[in-house]
Amino acid sequence: MGNSAIQPVGAETATPATVSSLVRVTGLRKHYGGVRALKGVDLDLRAGEIHGLVGANGAGKSTLIKILAGLESPDAGEISVDGTPVSIATPDQATALGLSFIHQELNLVPRMSALQNIMLGVPKASTLGLVDWRRVRQLVQPIATRVGIRFSLETPAAALSVAEGWLVSICRALVRRSRLIVMDEPTASLSAHECDNLFRIVRDLSGNGVAVLYVSHRLDEITGLCHHVTAFRDGLLAAQIDRASLNRARLVEAIVGTDKPETFALAAANVIAPESDEIALSVRNLRRGSAVRDVSFDLHKGEVLGLGGLVGSGRSETVRLIFGADAMQGGQMTLCGRAFTPRTPHDAVEAGVGLVPEERRSEGLVLAKSVAFNLSLTSLLGLHVAPPLPLMSMRRRDKQAQEMSQRLLIKMPNVATPVGRLSGGNQQKVVIGKWLSRSLRVLILDEPSRGVDIGARQEIHRIIRELATQGVSIIVISSETEELPGLCDRVLVMVEGRIATELRGAAITREALVQASYLSTEESQPS
Amino acid sequence: MTTASGAAPEQEKTSALPSLLAKYGTIVGLVIMIGAFSAMAPAAFPTLSNGINVLNQAALALIIAGGLTVAVIVGELDLSIGFAASFEGVLVTGLMVNDGLPPAVAIPIVLLVGALIGLINGLIVTKVGVNSVIATLGTGTIVVGLNFAYSSGAPIAAGVPDSFVNIALGRLWGIPHNVLIMIVVTALLWVLVERTSIGQSIQAVGGNPLAARFSGIRVDRIKIMGFMVAGVCAAITGILLASALGSGTTSAADSYLLTAFAAVFLGSATLRDGEFHIIGTLFGGLIIAIGFNGLAIFGAPTFYQYVFQGAILILAVGLSSLGRRYANR
Ligand SMILES: Nc1ncnc2c1ncn2[C@@H]1O[C@H](COP(=O)(O)OP(=O)(O)OP(=O)(O)O)[C@@H](O)[C@H]1O
Ligand SMILES: [Mg+2]
Repeated sequence: MGNSAIQPVGAETATPATVSSLVRVTGLRKHYGGVRALKGVDLDLRAGEIHGLVGANGAGKSTLIKILAGLESPDAGEISVDGTPVSIATPDQATALGLSFIHQELNLVPRMSALQNIMLGVPKASTLGLVDWRRVRQLVQPIATRVGIRFSLETPAAALSVAEGWLVSICRALVRRSRLIVMDEPTASLSAHECDNLFRIVRDLSGNGVAVLYVSHRLDEITGLCHHVTAFRDGLLAAQIDRASLNRARLVEAIVGTDKPETFALAAANVIAPESDEIALSVRNLRRGSAVRDVSFDLHKGEVLGLGGLVGSGRSETVRLIFGADAMQGGQMTLCGRAFTPRTPHDAVEAGVGLVPEERRSEGLVLAKSVAFNLSLTSLLGLHVAPPLPLMSMRRRDKQAQEMSQRLLIKMPNVATPVGRLSGGNQQKVVIGKWLSRSLRVLILDEPSRGVDIGARQEIHRIIRELATQGVSIIVISSETEELPGLCDRVLVMVEGRIATELRGAAITREALVQASYLSTEESQPS
Repeated sequence: MTTASGAAPEQEKTSALPSLLAKYGTIVGLVIMIGAFSAMAPAAFPTLSNGINVLNQAALALIIAGGLTVAVIVGELDLSIGFAASFEGVLVTGLMVNDGLPPAVAIPIVLLVGALIGLINGLIVTKVGVNSVIATLGTGTIVVGLNFAYSSGAPIAAGVPDSFVNIALGRLWGIPHNVLIMIVVTALLWVLVERTSIGQSIQAVGGNPLAARFSGIRVDRIKIMGFMVAGVCAAITGILLASALGSGTTSAADSYLLTAFAAVFLGSATLRDGEFHIIGTLFGGLIIAIGFNGLAIFGAPTFYQYVFQGAILILAVGLSSLGRRYANR
């Protein structure tokens, strides 16, 4: 199942000629309180190679990156750059060594222009002590063109899409003459087309001798892109795989620890569940600004409905209207036959509609509070000791959280752990878990498996199907074209705020999804 | 794996120390202070009657600070509480003296006024969108105006019924009523915040309002409720102060604002990493009261009290933010 964008091993992806070690990590250990995030891992990264880093949620990938970036200090272990042992105590030292980092939450200064962001902290050409921005721009422009920046460098960062933000970050790394660019889950919020562009740039960087450390849960990307792969499991080195022996099965084995064949549990999914005539949610002519222009559809009881399309096609905006998070400017909805006009998320939740939002850290979690606290937020009333008394049973709350964590395989010391200390994927599981302890009519999941490892993704898909069998109607948004085909009974592809195409059952394929996302763009442009 | 166990525990201790210091530092400070005062003034300080005296002095500040804690947990500041408490002290005596209302009627009315001020604060902050510091500074100043309009600036003293004065000055089983009321209010607030669904919502709203909203919590209502709890607690303090003084005095309770803030922030550095909570506020209030008591016992001049008050406020906020920094590690 190679992504159309990722070419099989060819001349351009061959291992680069240079084979000297650029960064070498040996025996690295790091613990947080009682949690041993890294128990002695190695990494051998050569100049100019694309090096994949994989592992289940909480395996320690981000921890390694934070140490290389000078954001965390290791307990033990050695890091050497160009064969010389170094200690990286601050981000400045990492930059000085030629290491650049693009973390998943891009840290651009929103009010500064792209150019200012690129030049942040870099000595700039100046005349009489004043920064000569014209000369700076002349210097940066060729690099910007090389990474595919087609927008003006004067654009403020706040106005850039996530993909454009990535390009700015890559440009920033190149301006600093980085020899290694570390990318933590770069494609998590990019559309298929934007992913292709990123892969092209990554290959180009590698061709020019810049090494890339590439962290991803999307195995097709790893197999298509990387020269070498390092896999972590539970803070230990699980495998070092080179290009020749790199394939999906090998990766799964390294990550999960068994070679049990990937039960794409959902072989059953494309066998469409007998469609219920009962309509759970009916949406007519929904409108809001330019993001949602005119959306109408019916969601059947027990159906898994996918919303496909490009990032920015209005999918998240549509479900936010259904959830009452934004006010609609036109249209009607009915929920189980009754008029449904949620003015706040509270109204929607009361009516039995739940949303797993796109931005887990800002919209889904109270990071300083415990896992149990977060998991119980949507079902507080159900945890009362005796209904007339407003007292809560903390014991029941913790028990419920315990069960949910086991069900979702949430990796953590215990349910009292602050959710902010969990790894990215485990945080996402908590956001989903919040809605599973409440009875719902409609559950909307916006990018549910973003940053989630393959084991947990299958589990999430299984839970989605299970809820559907129980009669819950599901809407799933995913920008990952591989995700929807295995999962949905029906997919609506949105283009520029409208529903452009409907796909059913076996017609839901990756190719069809990609085609629908783009063809319609061109079609609808002239009108 | 076996080699790892050698280095790990030691490392653990050193990295945990600052956080431990932040969490238990205030309690250690409290114990040291009690020990030092006991050693320096063995006849005056470590006695039962002085203990009760300290609690009695702490009681009113603790009640108003408890209410403020709830407002701060929902993520807002309330600067109107001191002025409101002063006004409410004047109002309760006025209602009794000028309008001849019995305490049993006057007190509930004034508690409602406290809730109303909280409601107005909450509405301005949530529905109009004014920053809570500015909003409550504004309402607090208006309340000062109301206070002067109502009392013309003169204390209302003559004719306050004995039954009213008795509320604050009376004792039950040897314990001053104020202390008992403080214990009840603190206990109720603790249950509210820690053991009810509303309390969970209050904590969620303070922790991340957006995530709370996306969980179906009515964020505005919860915030308004936080202001109302602060308002009612301010009213209780105002009423009890008027009762203890036997009069309603225009600016009698103003200084409780500072004490309450100091207690709340000192408390947030206690037991939890920079997180506001009721038990913490209780500790914070006690530390301050014992400090004042010590100053009084040693006959320190008045200006020291101000220096102490200001210093403790800065120390408290400093410790609180240190605690948060370690929590985010
Ligand atoms: N600040 C922290 N405090 C306590 N534990 C932490 C902290 N950061 C990470 N951990 C723990 O360290 C382990 C490794 O986390 P890490 O973020 O490196 O995982 P990851 O491989 O990046 O996972 P994911 O794919 O989910 O992002 C996890 O068990 C996590 O809970
Ligand atoms: Mg991670």
